[in-house]
Amino acid sequence: MSLKLELLTPELSLLIFALLVILLDLGIKQKKVLAGVSILGLLVSGGFVLTLWGRESASAFNGMFLVDPFALFFKLLFLIAAGLVILASQDYVSKFARFQGEYYALILISAIGMMLLATTGELISIYIALELSSISLYILTGFLKDPKSSEAGLKYLLLGAVASATLLYGMALVFGLTGKTRLTEIAQAIQTIPLTTLLDSPALLLGIILLACGFGFKIACVPFQMWVPDVYEGAPTPITAYLSVASKAAGFAVIARFFYTTFGVPDWLSLNWGILFASLSAITMTLGNVIAIAQTNIKRMLGYSSIAQAGYLMVGLAAVGVASMADTLGRSGLLFFLASYTLTNLGAFIAIIAISNKIDSDLIDDYTGMGSRAPLLALGLTLCLISLIGLPPTAGLIAKIYIFNAGVHYGLLWLVVIGVINSCISAYYYLGVVKVMWLGAPVSEEKVPSSWALRIVLALTCLGVLVLGIIPGKFVQIAETAVRIFTS
Amino acid sequence: MPHQVPWLIWLSPMFSFIIISLILRPFFNHHPKLSGYTTIAAIGISCFLSFWVLIEVLKAPGHRLEIPDIQWVVIEDGISIHLGLIVDALTAVMLIVVSVVSLLIQIYSQGYMHGDPGYPRYYAFMSLFTGFMLGLVMADNLVFLFLFWEGVGLCSYLLIGFWFHRPAAANAAKKAFIVTRLGDFGFLAAILFLFYHTGTFDIERLHSLAIAGTLAGTTLTWAALGIFSGAAGKSAQFPLHTWLPDAMEGPTPVSALIHAATMVAAGVFLVARFFPLFEHSKVALTIVAVIGAFTAIFAASMGLVMNDIKRVVAYSTISQLGYMMLGLGVSGVAVGIFHLFNHAFFKALLFLGAGSVNHATGTFDIREMGGLRRVMPWTYITFIIAALSLAGIYPLSGFWSKDEILIYSFKTQPFLFTLALITVFMTAFYIFRVVFVVFGGEYRGTKLAHHSEHKLHESPAVMVIPMVILAFFSAVSGWLNLTGNFGEFLGHGEARGLLEGFFGILGKPLPWLSLIVAGLGIYLAYAMYSTRRISPEAVGRTFVPLYTTLSRKYWFDELYERIFVGKTLVNGLFVGLEAFDTYAVDGSVNGIADKTIATGRALSRVQTGQLQLYGLFIAMGIVAITICFYFFG
Amino acid sequence: MSVSLEHYLILSALLFCIGLYGALSRRNTIVILMSIEIMLNAVNVALVAFSRYIVPLVLTGQVFALFVMVVAAAEVAVGLAIIIALYRSRETVDVEQADLMKG
Repeated sequence: MSLKLELLTPELSLLIFALLVILLDLGIKQKKVLAGVSILGLLVSGGFVLTLWGRESASAFNGMFLVDPFALFFKLLFLIAAGLVILASQDYVSKFARFQGEYYALILISAIGMMLLATTGELISIYIALELSSISLYILTGFLKDPKSSEAGLKYLLLGAVASATLLYGMALVFGLTGKTRLTEIAQAIQTIPLTTLLDSPALLLGIILLACGFGFKIACVPFQMWVPDVYEGAPTPITAYLSVASKAAGFAVIARFFYTTFGVPDWLSLNWGILFASLSAITMTLGNVIAIAQTNIKRMLGYSSIAQAGYLMVGLAAVGVASMADTLGRSGLLFFLASYTLTNLGAFIAIIAISNKIDSDLIDDYTGMGSRAPLLALGLTLCLISLIGLPPTAGLIAKIYIFNAGVHYGLLWLVVIGVINSCISAYYYLGVVKVMWLGAPVSEEKVPSSWALRIVLALTCLGVLVLGIIPGKFVQIAETAVRIFTS
Repeated sequence: MPHQVPWLIWLSPMFSFIIISLILRPFFNHHPKLSGYTTIAAIGISCFLSFWVLIEVLKAPGHRLEIPDIQWVVIEDGISIHLGLIVDALTAVMLIVVSVVSLLIQIYSQGYMHGDPGYPRYYAFMSLFTGFMLGLVMADNLVFLFLFWEGVGLCSYLLIGFWFHRPAAANAAKKAFIVTRLGDFGFLAAILFLFYHTGTFDIERLHSLAIAGTLAGTTLTWAALGIFSGAAGKSAQFPLHTWLPDAMEGPTPVSALIHAATMVAAGVFLVARFFPLFEHSKVALTIVAVIGAFTAIFAASMGLVMNDIKRVVAYSTISQLGYMMLGLGVSGVAVGIFHLFNHAFFKALLFLGAGSVNHATGTFDIREMGGLRRVMPWTYITFIIAALSLAGIYPLSGFWSKDEILIYSFKTQPFLFTLALITVFMTAFYIFRVVFVVFGGEYRGTKLAHHSEHKLHESPAVMVIPMVILAFFSAVSGWLNLTGNFGEFLGHGEARGLLEGFFGILGKPLPWLSLIVAGLGIYLAYAMYSTRRISPEAVGRTFVPLYTTLSRKYWFDELYERIFVGKTLVNGLFVGLEAFDTYAVDGSVNGIADKTIATGRALSRVQTGQLQLYGLFIAMGIVAITICFYFFG
Repeated sequence: MSVSLEHYLILSALLFCIGLYGALSRRNTIVILMSIEIMLNAVNVALVAFSRYIVPLVLTGQVFALFVMVVAAAEVAVGLAIIIALYRSRETVDVEQADLMKG
């Protein structure tokens, strides 16, 4: 057995750059260089990902480390998200006197954690990867050290730790039941146990529930969503953006792989967790949307909105569970939705970073008349909000069509109906912001300036949102290839 | 021809709109000219590609190109949404009309809009309009057709109200929007009705269903009438005609492009596009012909007495659109569209002439003008050509298409023929009244004291050159059908020899009749307004009631004001509806909204900020899920 | 009576619940961190016991437990740092006081 180190090149190169950033921070006065080095690291890592793309699926370390299109898709997604977040942090970071190197390095390290999370197929490494990304994010959340940021960090850390203990207990039960830690072996072991319903095996039942809960914390579905608004409000805004997209996508990546590989067969088992996610999905999207209406702080509003979006995403997850062996459809909707959501939500947060930083407020009321004070930012934000609702000509529409189509196809019509009603509810608060920005009389005539870095990143994300919305064909194919590995 | 070409035709102006609004306006606001150049370049590309498409369509068997659909969203065993274009003879002709006229008008606008603070905004909207209009004539299914349809309506609204600080412009924009919406309501109903009955939005499928007889009887008639109601709104047919004269509040090039040559003709185009449906419903086709003929004479009569040059031309537009509808109603696509094709050029030219005159004198009131033939020779000559063409004088373009309409209506609907013939007389009279009053006699301007005659000047070359080009088209565009080729291209009639076409027509009695009638109209105008052998004031006094009726536009504005706004006639009904709206509709809608918001507030109160409560929820959640599994799993 | 797998599992479950109760009820953030440590160690007990009884020949469970300890140590280090930061700005480690953000 060879080490096959070339399969690890994306993670290894990124790690080297993360360490390099910390080292450079010691000796360099011009801190902008650090951002450049970090971006370079992401690009190099992305390059390695692309060289691996299109190859045969391979594995290293005895099947612990899987390199398949599914993993590579998510790796690219995390790299893009991290890159955009770093670019969007420019204004923010210049406020810190110290620790700029650590800030960038931690973003890179958490990206490594997420990449590992999407790529591992073994219990221990899943846990390590999860904690690697989470612990970096705890620190980043509390990075500002002001009362709000520290409080957010504390809440995130303590609840995260409880959730990961829960997850661990679930893992221990599954390990105890099968004696294996590799997902494929666990699946084989489960098939040999003579079971007809889940109630026959309390260990498996509890294991599945605890695992779902542990991962559910990561994707912030009900009832594990309560940390979201507080943490989002307190964290530095770029980190909020990062949390809301990358961390969530990582959660979905690991759930999709874990549940599908481990509990995909027999059918009744798969149906069980499919229905579990379907029910949680319905509650999650409804709760997220309804509470979002009452919000006055835009970061909190987007926090609840991201809970609702997780609800839509879980429709795809539920479809996978309900029809595990059918084909790739459900997951393809999931991946496309994640890509679309990542770009859209990042775009919205970038606009908010740009605006809030200058007007020093996160209140929706203070966004009044932003259409005339900062037309480009307001336009970008409007586009992203429209995409979050799921209106043409944006990525959000295509993503929703996909994922709801999957739902209808696999007999989850009731869930799709709830989803559509929820989309209508969500239009109320998203469009509320749009209305305030364009139709409200500006509080002051003063223009809101924004840096070129932010403008370029915002333009890039908006372009992405439009491209995915107008010519989705190519990306749909990519998303479909990425999940085909599971059908063989 | 690459399949991207037809797509590029309508996307090119769209890109121009995006570039102007996202790049040029925010960053290069000090160089407004750039937006004009961008628009002209983009529409120039469309124009070039349109000719390319035309040549390809001419060569293609059956005069139609197969453009493969773009698979927009395709999900295995699931939803699939295709985007497609129809490129047939009708499309090709419309593409040429829209892109050529639009290009010339964009060039002209550089002079007319010079120095206007809204210059980039103007060009952004014009690009957007052209893009929508080009998309409209190519759309292959009802949903996209309707989107483009509403898109041009929106642009029309924005451009009528371009000088939004003028209350008249703002009101006119609103009126145009509301009145055309009434027609669109019928159109939308027809779309849904058709979908309900056939399960398809695809236009060509609907055609084949109508031809096969699957779609027939009252269903077909109602669908056709619904489509016609949309067409009538857009093409300002009676009784939805009132918005078009008011729409003259917009900049004159806008009137030329949108409210003369293209958008208002979209109604005619729509009927032509769905002609297989109309063809199989005798009732619908007759209604189209009757409404068309009536609108023609009705609008022409109001044009007789207007003193605003743009309003005269606007009523003339309504009247000519009526002609086109009549042409469609009595004989088919080829005749109606041929008139649309010719009309686009000479009517755009008339508007540009009016704009040019306005540019010099600062007014649209013909009583304030006079004697302009000496100072504005180019405008004068081109205006005369357009006027002769409109009046239908041999051998200018208007003659050929109008003549065909008259011939066919004589064969099938003699009564409508009489109306049309009277309209010929009125048309010749009102347009030459304008010619003699504006260009003949001496300058009478009082409005602008400093405008003594020597300060009056010809418009700049950017304005004159497009007018000259349009004049050329106005003169010769009718010759395209001399050999019957144009008709044959659109699937109608048979080819004949060139000379036979050019002179042969003079051997028949009907063309002579219409020429004599038109000549009489011109002579009467000459006698009244040039030599003053007949005093117009005396005529006005003799027919006071008639004159008042016409100049008050048959009191239609007042009538609509009463019905739609004043609440006098239908006060009771409105009160009832309002009560229903307030208590039943608003009540339930607001009730649901309020309850949702209240629930949101209540639920967000659970979010106390207490970390351990959150932890407790996690724990309770786990327990609840386990219990659920125990009972339902 | 010999000690069987069940005994270890019951011990582990009890420890886990005690830890969870502590985490949800104690006001002092340091104590909450300690309670979470108890939860993690409960898992470790289960892991090692499973490993010993189900697959006695391989050490997967033990290795897993070691990793959990390492990660837990890192988590506690970060936790303490955040608590100190919070203490500096608020002068309290009482978790009930940390409610700047709600609604």
